[in-house]
Amino acid sequence: MSASAGRLRDRLAADPLWRAVRLLDVRWGRTVKAVVLGSLALGSSVALAAVAAWLIARASQMPPVLTLGVAVVSVRAFGISRGIFRYLERLASHDVALRGMAVLRANLYAALAAGRPGTVVALRRGDLLARVGADVDAVGDVVVRALIPAGVAVVVGTGSVVLLTAFLPAAGLALAACLVVAAVVGPWLSARAARTIEVRGAAARADMTSACLDLLENAGPLAVSGRLETRTAALRAADREFAAANDDGARTAGLSAGLVAGATGTAVLAALLLGLPAITAGTLTATELSVVVLTPLAVFEVATVLPAAAVQLRRSRIAAQRIMAMLDGAEPAADDAPVADSAPVGSTVHGGGTAEGTAPVARLDGVACGWGRDPAVTGIDLVLRPGRAVGVVGPSGIGKSTLLMTAAGLVPTQAGTVTLDGVAVDDVPGDELARQVVFVAEDGHVFDTTVLENLRVARGDVTPEEAREALADVGLVGWLDALPDGLGTTLGPDATTVSGGERRRLLVARALLAPAPLLLVDEPAEHLDAATADALVARLVEVCRSRGRGLLLATHRLSALVGVDEVLVLAQPADGGPAAVVARGPHTDLVRDVEAYRWALDREQSGVQVT
Amino acid sequence: MKPLDPRLLRQARAARGYVVLTAALGFVTAALVVAQALTIAAVLAPAIQGTLDTSRAAPLLAVLAALVAARAVTAWAQERFALRASARTVAELREQVVTHAVALGPRWLATGRGPAVATLATRGLDALEPYLVRYLPQLLLAATVTPAALAVVLGLDWISAVVIAVTIPLVPIFMILVGQLTAGTSERRLVVMQRLGAQVLDLLAGLPTLRAFGRERGPEKRVRELGEANRKATMGTLRVAFLSGMVLELLTTLSVAVVAVGVGLRLVYGDVGLEPAIAVLVLAPEVYLPLRQVGQHFHASTDGIAAAQQAFDVLDEPVRPRGTVPAPALAGATITLDDVSVRAGDRDVLAPAGLTATLGRAAGGRGSVVALTGPSGAGKTTAALVLLGLVAPDAGRVVITTPAGERHDLADLDPATWWSQIAWVPQRPTLSPGTVRDAVLDGVGQVTGEALARAARITGLDHVVAGLPQGWDTPVGLGGVGLSVGQRQRVALASALLGDPAAVPLVVLDEPTAHLDAHDEEAVLDAVRTWRDQGRTVVVVAHRASLVALADTVVTVTSAVEATSGVDTGSAADARDRVEVRS
Repeated sequence: MSASAGRLRDRLAADPLWRAVRLLDVRWGRTVKAVVLGSLALGSSVALAAVAAWLIARASQMPPVLTLGVAVVSVRAFGISRGIFRYLERLASHDVALRGMAVLRANLYAALAAGRPGTVVALRRGDLLARVGADVDAVGDVVVRALIPAGVAVVVGTGSVVLLTAFLPAAGLALAACLVVAAVVGPWLSARAARTIEVRGAAARADMTSACLDLLENAGPLAVSGRLETRTAALRAADREFAAANDDGARTAGLSAGLVAGATGTAVLAALLLGLPAITAGTLTATELSVVVLTPLAVFEVATVLPAAAVQLRRSRIAAQRIMAMLDGAEPAADDAPVADSAPVGSTVHGGGTAEGTAPVARLDGVACGWGRDPAVTGIDLVLRPGRAVGVVGPSGIGKSTLLMTAAGLVPTQAGTVTLDGVAVDDVPGDELARQVVFVAEDGHVFDTTVLENLRVARGDVTPEEAREALADVGLVGWLDALPDGLGTTLGPDATTVSGGERRRLLVARALLAPAPLLLVDEPAEHLDAATADALVARLVEVCRSRGRGLLLATHRLSALVGVDEVLVLAQPADGGPAAVVARGPHTDLVRDVEAYRWALDREQSGVQVT
Repeated sequence: MKPLDPRLLRQARAARGYVVLTAALGFVTAALVVAQALTIAAVLAPAIQGTLDTSRAAPLLAVLAALVAARAVTAWAQERFALRASARTVAELREQVVTHAVALGPRWLATGRGPAVATLATRGLDALEPYLVRYLPQLLLAATVTPAALAVVLGLDWISAVVIAVTIPLVPIFMILVGQLTAGTSERRLVVMQRLGAQVLDLLAGLPTLRAFGRERGPEKRVRELGEANRKATMGTLRVAFLSGMVLELLTTLSVAVVAVGVGLRLVYGDVGLEPAIAVLVLAPEVYLPLRQVGQHFHASTDGIAAAQQAFDVLDEPVRPRGTVPAPALAGATITLDDVSVRAGDRDVLAPAGLTATLGRAAGGRGSVVALTGPSGAGKTTAALVLLGLVAPDAGRVVITTPAGERHDLADLDPATWWSQIAWVPQRPTLSPGTVRDAVLDGVGQVTGEALARAARITGLDHVVAGLPQGWDTPVGLGGVGLSVGQRQRVALASALLGDPAAVPLVVLDEPTAHLDAHDEEAVLDAVRTWRDQGRTVVVVAHRASLVALADTVVTVTSAVEATSGVDTGSAADARDRVEVRS
């Protein structure tokens, strides 16, 4: 293998689109079949033009009609076969793409399921949906809209050039040159135009979007403060800038369209210019001249879809980049312990007080954590063991969720260590970790299935009685009884039919059913009124304690923390910088000793009476 | 659904110019197509028959070259101006939709139309681009090239013209027939397909949750199965959906073949000349080409028309007429909410229900603080919006009584003159892009550095500013430093403190429900006290006891289930009873 071929292979291997297409697991046999069918379809119309041209030229010489028989039948046959082959090709190419997309989604799922847990848990729902939804579609589209049309163009273009070359080599060469302009240069320019619009328009588009949202979301305040005019002017300016970017791209796109249109006519003109002397010289017969001149008119149809194909290629590459970035982020670290085939979770029930004796202890020593380069929270020491409940309080956005995810081993620490029974969490296999520690995210997913199946996400063998009991624990029995089919009621995609408060309680009920002895629960009481919120948290603490479970609870309500063993108060220092523990101890001690804590609690409780 | 909605032309100036240009280019293209076919035939026919005179061929070839160049130029112009026109058309519609939606007010936007309008304005209208750039030109070519080419064929060889004229109507007829035959099946299959697709996405979206419970391994098989089922269902739909495309291709290509064979056979008997025969052969596909392209871009057309339709639906919403009477000077005036009820969304609930309250009228020039309290959902914020004139009450009215005794209904007043006398601090204040100083001074007028420093001290904004990289000159808002809701609240409070109390005598404050710490709360309380000391009337939507304690008047807002006969007067009476004056 030559060095340049090796380089090409390396470049191809690094190309995100190529990597994504490989994940489509495309069967090349099926792709070839689609290209062949597509070539037969377009080839039919080229052949129709060629045979019709011959037929007319020959007929004008008034031969016996019988000698035209084959040509007449062929023209009619090509007239029919084009539509049929095109239909078959569309089905074949979509089949290839759809198979690929299904495989890519499954591969994505498998990769994310096996990958580094933090990346997956931290993925924003919208991002994940966009990656597996629209972006996978875009990668699949590359097959239908770019690869197969390009293959067809190569086959039919080459075939036509060969046909013309057989009659008049110079005309074949001219056709080849014109085809290169129409099928390579034109699409390349179109893709460039699309890129210009996208790159130059990106900032304008962002400005336009934010101006639109600003106007719509803040219509009232903007009107009252008399700022509506200036914001509308800002939208207009952003749109003008966006139009200017479009205009820039339009110049290139126009050039591309002009070249493609010109190439078609030029091919015919060239055939005439080359054919007329040839017929005089006697190297070309009259019927052959007809074929050489009139066939090119049909050939250029192969190029019509290629500009769109080039644009699609670019769009798909960007989508593939995003998919690959997600996959690369989720790739397990090289030193991760290989995960052995484990017994299905739920076959060993840890709940119900069986955790004693084999108690897992999670310990945080001097932990600093955060998503970016700088830690959000620093200097955390904390011990969590079955039967013990710890609360973390602090204003929204201070880093409570990050701390919980770090404690769950989902986010790597920036300093300090997190250990589970003395073993660093990074060294605990994922399955084992999930059996011991469960992190209940604020925005946990409610599946498009029944209430019972949603609860069984925590443990596969939850019985209806257990489910009912867990829902009772979170005060959802009334809600359950009001459902048309009780536990068998389907909740709809992402539980849009469930209110914010009900959804949150459902997530807590699910957490209670999990077999893991250590629960890390993020803001269980958001979207609930104060009384319900406090009752829910109190019940959660009570249930965990009575069943010998460890609970780490992040909340911004203090009044709910009466029952926990220790409260960590997080606050940001006045000079900015990472948040740290400013006070810790049992709730009653904090109320007694810490003025700010007492003040905040007072406000909260008086607030209960007002709202 | 019309393929070209006249309203699109009425609403968007750029679209009008574009359609005119495209139509003109359509006529030019038609002329060029015909001329090119005739020229090719004029050169090729004598060449085939061996009668070509080189002196006659040269000028014809020159003409052909000119025609090819002209077609390239028209194609360039079409593409060049199509993209520009579509960007402008979308921009025009976007501005109209956004402006109209803003004029419809917060209540309309809150009915769930808000997010839909936002999606339409930021992304939905983009569907007009393929419609304008790809579909519309082909539609106009179908209206120019197709009849022009057909007319020329009629002149050259009437039998071919008849064949073409008969097959053209077959195209829509067969497509409609196929569409009707398959409509039921494809709709049923589409539902199955969407359901399966949604299930795959649901499992993938839930992966983080499954992962947290260590149960991510089982569903992988399910994802594969669902993917396979989805593919089968989709292929089933496509098998039917592609039928209409096949009919279109079959009819158009077969017609060209029939014309070619017919002309060929008649050539043998000398019924037609070679030159017209070649011209007909070249023109026949051109007759069908625009029709096929229209069919190909059909989806672009439906998406584009649907987007335009959504825009027109928004624009068709009637806007409440604005008052025209200039608002009287608010200083010293009394504002009365008289039995005000607002229907909450689509529910049969009035929130507030029959709210009556009197604001202002404080003795001795001292300001007053009115707290609106009540359980969440009672309509406190809505009551504030009614007072601001942003929501029109469904029953009752807001009356302004000047010290001279003149009475004005708020609905009759010019909103701009009313708003200029009010400072409003909403729950989530928004900042204009610019520096922190710009944001505070926005709409305030000339202020001394001393006054600014004082306002910053009262609201605690001085601490926020001290923590910013460039202090008062730090850019905020779009593209600047993001301030938290609490910090933005302080900016808005400071801004509301700075205005001239005589020119802006009314302050409306919607207290944030989000978590506040001791400093935040003290800032809000201090601001309210300062406003009162400045002699302003302060209306506070209060959630916290500390704010209620500060109020001179507490108005309890209640909601009520709407009685079928109209406003539930019983609860209105209740609301009046609960107005209690403490000071």
